[in-house]
Amino acid sequence: MAVVYEFVWRMLHALLHLQRTLLSWFRIRIWNWTWRLWRRAVAAVLVPAVFGFQNHPHNNKKLVPTGCKKSCCRVLWKSDGKSLEKLPLHIGLLIAEEEPRYTDIANLVVWCMAVGISYVSVYDNQGIFRRNNSRLMDEILKQQQELLGLDSLKYSVEFLNNSNDKPEQQGLSCQATVKVLSPDDGKPGIVTAAQKFCQLVEQQQKRSTDLDVNMLDSLLRGTKGMPDPDLVMKFGTVDSTLGFLPWHIRLTEIISLPSHINITYEHFFSALKCYAGCEQRLGK
Amino acid sequence: MSWIHKGELTFIERLSANILKAGPMPKHVAFIMDGNRRYARKLHVERQQGHTQGFDKLAETLRWCLNLEIREVTVYAFSIENFKRAKDEVDGLMELARQKFSRLLDEQEDLEKHGVCIRVLGDLTLLPLDIQKLIAQAVLATKNHNKCFLNVCFAYTSRHEITNAVKEAAWGVEQGLIKPSDVSEFLLDECLYTSNSPDPDLLIRTSGEVRLSDFLLWQTTYSCLVFQSILWPEYSFWNLCEAILQYQLNHHALQKARDLHAEARVLQQLEADRCCAAELLQQTGLGKPLDPQLRQEAVQKYTAEREGRVHSFLTALQEKRDRFFTDLNKGSIASAKA
Repeated sequence: MAVVYEFVWRMLHALLHLQRTLLSWFRIRIWNWTWRLWRRAVAAVLVPAVFGFQNHPHNNKKLVPTGCKKSCCRVLWKSDGKSLEKLPLHIGLLIAEEEPRYTDIANLVVWCMAVGISYVSVYDNQGIFRRNNSRLMDEILKQQQELLGLDSLKYSVEFLNNSNDKPEQQGLSCQATVKVLSPDDGKPGIVTAAQKFCQLVEQQQKRSTDLDVNMLDSLLRGTKGMPDPDLVMKFGTVDSTLGFLPWHIRLTEIISLPSHINITYEHFFSALKCYAGCEQRLGK
Repeated sequence: MSWIHKGELTFIERLSANILKAGPMPKHVAFIMDGNRRYARKLHVERQQGHTQGFDKLAETLRWCLNLEIREVTVYAFSIENFKRAKDEVDGLMELARQKFSRLLDEQEDLEKHGVCIRVLGDLTLLPLDIQKLIAQAVLATKNHNKCFLNVCFAYTSRHEITNAVKEAAWGVEQGLIKPSDVSEFLLDECLYTSNSPDPDLLIRTSGEVRLSDFLLWQTTYSCLVFQSILWPEYSFWNLCEAILQYQLNHHALQKARDLHAEARVLQQLEADRCCAAELLQQTGLGKPLDPQLRQEAVQKYTAEREGRVHSFLTALQEKRDRFFTDLNKGSIASAKA
């Protein structure tokens, strides 16, 4: 009898895997088709509005230079951000997939900046991004140039490393802070803060009973001052936070997307819309 | 038993359970039982009714878990944040707790027969004293049962729990039992309210919300998270099966991630021990011995001493925790006699 149950179980799981693959495939295809139609309609309205009405007998699209196309995108993305009921102040991009694609992640970071998100964290549970920090930074700067064109100068990206420097305030129209995280920032970070407090207790500068949630929170945060993530976008089929900042995600909305590979802006924005619809009662 | 429904699965349910059990099964499942008030609104009844139905659903779910051989369940019954709710709602929830814990004490024989161990996790000092005493009685009465475990998070938030764990470690330093450098992930694990439980394999949140709301943040770093849109009082056996299937689909990847983290943890501890042993040698004026054999012995000696300190500290901590419940219990026996 056990053999029969096992056989049925295996069949069930094979079917589920197949369903997941098919759904993923269909979702991307139908989605892209629907969104292409929608975006063309919106662009057709906005392009003349941005550049003034062009009285060309030929197709406008062919004659709009690439720089203007990028500006058009930037305008669309900015207005997308403003159209949402709420936008996260800090977004965590959790890549739960084996092989990260730096260009796609860089695109995600640039879109976050373009819609108006101030803090972006990038995380994977094997510490790959931490080890290849400069490669990721270079890719982000490259994609910033690629996607935002001339306007990329109006956007400042501050990369936070493990130093205690505060991000500099610059008088630019858009500023974003990007941080690369790894599992070492999770539980090991809490252990370090605990050791710091215990040292103060050993030196009799504090008593054990002095510690409360706010004090531990300040010890953890240090002087970097990044707020808690409001939203984690998880890419991949693993249903777990995989060690991402356990202390900081107490109220974080966790939205899953199937993959970051070839991720489109439309997919990314749909997740933001999902976030905008979430209601937090904060215990009340 | 009022906390665990009587009854067996139907034929179809039994068949499905047997099929599921052919694959890896979670040993510990955590529930965020969300949606009682929305359910009450949907049915146009009082909120309190929603909470009562929610408790009944818990009793039913515990029965299903036992049928599925899931031996440990942790539930988020009342958050510290919930004290912010309207007074009548909070009072209603406290009254429900009073009734249910009192009922539990009347069913001690049944609890013993089924080997049910009840633990209540949270900052119990925030609760009315009479409820603290009821809880203490229930916890002490079922302490040695070991067939299945129910952990009720009451007056709980994860950040309070983690802060409390760090406070306990600091208390250990104050008492001279451990050094600050002895504080590690393992030590903090043992200082949490959940120290007697393995990490949950599966966390289920109902009502469609997709956040953890300050529940088991430390313990669920590698758990399978399943968010289901059904409201808690409407939860069904099939919803539970669906969640377990999700767990089974994720099992391999999560096991891999967990093993990676465990390996990293071992290496980090070894590295920390090496640094501390080297520092100690420096302080005792011996400097860094060139002989790798001597260096290795110094590290091993340091590790053994550290583990000894941690063991003494954890024994003292367990005694402190037991005293909290026995003192409360003495208080209730004394007032019963008076």
